[in-house]
Amino acid sequence: MTTATPLLQLNHLQKRFGKFEALKDIDFAIYPGEVFGFIGPNGAGKSTTIRVLLGILKASGGSATIFGQDVWQHSVAIHRRIAYVPGDVYLWPNLSGGEIIDLFLKLNGERHSAKTDALIKEFGLDPRKKARTYSKGNRQKVALIAAFSTNADFYIFDEPTSGLDPLNEQTFQAHVLALKQAGKSVLLSSHILSEVEKMCDRIGIIREGQIVETGTLAEMRHLTRTTIDVQTVQPLSALTTLPGVHGLTAKHGDNHVSFAVDADQLTTVMQYLTRQQLVTLTSTPPTLEDLFMRYYAAPNDARTPDGK
Amino acid sequence: MVGQLLRLNLKRDRNKLLIWIVTLVGLFTAIAAKFDGIYGTQTAIDTIVKTLKMPAMVSLFGAFTAKAPYTTAKIFATEMVVFMALIMIIMNIMLAVAGTRGEEDEGLLELVRAHAVGRQVPLVATTIELTGLNLVVGVLFGVGLQLAGMPGADTTGNWLIGAGLAAIGWMFGMLTLLLAQVADSASGATMLSYAVFGVMYVARMSTDVSQPKLTWWVPFGWIEKLNIYQANEWQPVFMMLLFGLVCLNLAMYFNQRRDLGAGLLVTRQGRAKASPVLMGPTTLLWRQSRGTLLAWVIGNALLGMSYASIFNTIGDLAKSNPTIKQLLGAAALAAANRVIVKNFIAVLAIVMVVVALIPAVQTMLKLVHDENKGYLHQVYATATSRWHVWASYTGFALVEALVVFLAGCLGMYAMGRSAMKDPINWITYQHVLLAYLPAMFVMVAAASLLVGWWPKGRYLAWAGVFYGFFSLYLGNLIDLPKWAKQLTPLGFVNKVPIKAIDWSTNWWLLGLTVLILVLASWGYRRRDLAQ
Repeated sequence: MTTATPLLQLNHLQKRFGKFEALKDIDFAIYPGEVFGFIGPNGAGKSTTIRVLLGILKASGGSATIFGQDVWQHSVAIHRRIAYVPGDVYLWPNLSGGEIIDLFLKLNGERHSAKTDALIKEFGLDPRKKARTYSKGNRQKVALIAAFSTNADFYIFDEPTSGLDPLNEQTFQAHVLALKQAGKSVLLSSHILSEVEKMCDRIGIIREGQIVETGTLAEMRHLTRTTIDVQTVQPLSALTTLPGVHGLTAKHGDNHVSFAVDADQLTTVMQYLTRQQLVTLTSTPPTLEDLFMRYYAAPNDARTPDGK
Repeated sequence: MVGQLLRLNLKRDRNKLLIWIVTLVGLFTAIAAKFDGIYGTQTAIDTIVKTLKMPAMVSLFGAFTAKAPYTTAKIFATEMVVFMALIMIIMNIMLAVAGTRGEEDEGLLELVRAHAVGRQVPLVATTIELTGLNLVVGVLFGVGLQLAGMPGADTTGNWLIGAGLAAIGWMFGMLTLLLAQVADSASGATMLSYAVFGVMYVARMSTDVSQPKLTWWVPFGWIEKLNIYQANEWQPVFMMLLFGLVCLNLAMYFNQRRDLGAGLLVTRQGRAKASPVLMGPTTLLWRQSRGTLLAWVIGNALLGMSYASIFNTIGDLAKSNPTIKQLLGAAALAAANRVIVKNFIAVLAIVMVVVALIPAVQTMLKLVHDENKGYLHQVYATATSRWHVWASYTGFALVEALVVFLAGCLGMYAMGRSAMKDPINWITYQHVLLAYLPAMFVMVAAASLLVGWWPKGRYLAWAGVFYGFFSLYLGNLIDLPKWAKQLTPLGFVNKVPIKAIDWSTNWWLLGLTVLILVLASWGYRRRDLAQ
């Protein structure tokens, strides 16, 4: 995949608001046909990055290109080939949902099609209601329907499902997977980990305006620790001295402990444990939750020992 | 509960309230203090009395009820009360809508109401805020007049002016609270309130000119019935308070019964699909603003018509002086009559201009409003350029200024034709239009410039409109120096149709408009949009 030219390329992107550095160093690329998960805690700079990508904010430093064109200079040309759903959808209160969907389509040179009607049905939206009376979820549906019925090359979703019910969330996921199969690229910013796990090929984690990690989920799993619960015949006194062992805690019973071990030290540790003659052993692979919590919580280095 | 919410509201509105209080009281007191200098001599007073008795002036300032001996204070009361009442009412409508429907539209009221806050608490908090504000302004007016110490003023009269202005402001505040229950959105409530106010203004004008007694039937007219510095009657103040109280009770009655976010007028269903016309920023703006625009067009046309309906009364010198016909001869008399009407048209033009500027500036500032609200967020993610959006709003605003002003002139022309024996030709109104449009465009362009470069300071555009109105409506009467009148582009316009159009002024104003617009579009394209 890395052989293709990237569809989106960010190089040391920076954005300052006065003295506040919202984006310090954003660096990642998205390739054609890829669903890229963009995750990070609230206020980390996800939406700011997306707004720079859309030419709504002007970058203070670095470069950002989509389809090889600068996002600020050529925003109109780029926008012809993208579809976008913001996290908070605000709609003109006195227009109906149906009118707004059609307007968004027309603004991108498209028309209301059979696909649009199908989407309206599928998401269960009443297009005749005035936007003023829509709930958050319904407003999001309006934006989603417009985006999915646009024939774009690149789709940007900024926390698109935060107001949707589980049924609509599934509809959303099905449509994103369909886009992926059709060879489209997607940037999906989300807090819903199951969503990210199900759909994303690669993930970028942002914290405090910096990308702290990018890669596939498998690669990222590798970066974290497996939790081990073990009981042995012989005492485990040397365990603390082994590298890569964290948060050792004694459990009920003789020679029964639990601890976390770094992925790259797993073999050494397992060899030591076997030598002490195993009674029981359970190993728990890192969950996505663990993975994200680590990046979300720790202030500086994502992999500092945190007792887990 | 009410106390906490009130504190919160006051914190939210602190700047707004402060600006209103300082501007209103400052303006009022400064004029009062200066008045002795303008109308200090008996000759000056006698001249202005003659002017104020003319129907044209009566239509603007109310019936002249003062009796001889005329004093500076009596002139002040006649000239200032209606004007100040206008501004008090606008202030109350704005704050009452913002405090009720505005909060509701933003969804803030929902948050507040989710706590252990009663249904009526937010309404009561706004009521207290408005009451306090009017009270403070009224008291400061009284204090200001006491300090100014105009010849002929008395303490009761001073406090009566303060009380009367406070009462009329409060009354309209309460009326707006009631209308806010009827409409289903903030813009609907604002429109409804101004419509009611407009009807009352026109009604009092026509009764003042024809049958001043009938003005008692118009609540807005009560402010003219105080008889200040003479009989000093308090009865109208009590009537206003009573009327306000009735409105408040009705407002609370309806507020108790309706759903949050709904009004007595039911929200209609919209279209399932967009009409083919809705296809870009310009048509989107049209789709949203056409109702408001239509209201302004009709409103200004009606205003023009009602002014023109008294052209005949004004332009008839023979009525007040039967011998004049023999003296001048029929032809010369007709010419003299026309000059008087044209003089009146020149003054009315200012009112029409300001009325036309309101929707235009509103549209211009809507560009920032829509950006802040996030409505434009998704539009900018489509293949729509900033220039396109900016040009749509700016162009729409300029056309709005033109169309609403034109409607006012057409209204005057149409009614003038049927009301006058010797009607004014359309060419006269055309001159008025051509003379004022360039100056109006400069003001709209200036608002656009604020939108492009300093969106936070966009409300300065309103200060510009307000100052234009103030300096032209009152400028001559309070003897405003020339430089002060020329702080607004409107001040450069000749007194058309009495004088000819000054084309060189027109051209440089148009040039200035283009220059400002170029700067504005540049600023709007290069700045960050709101988060």
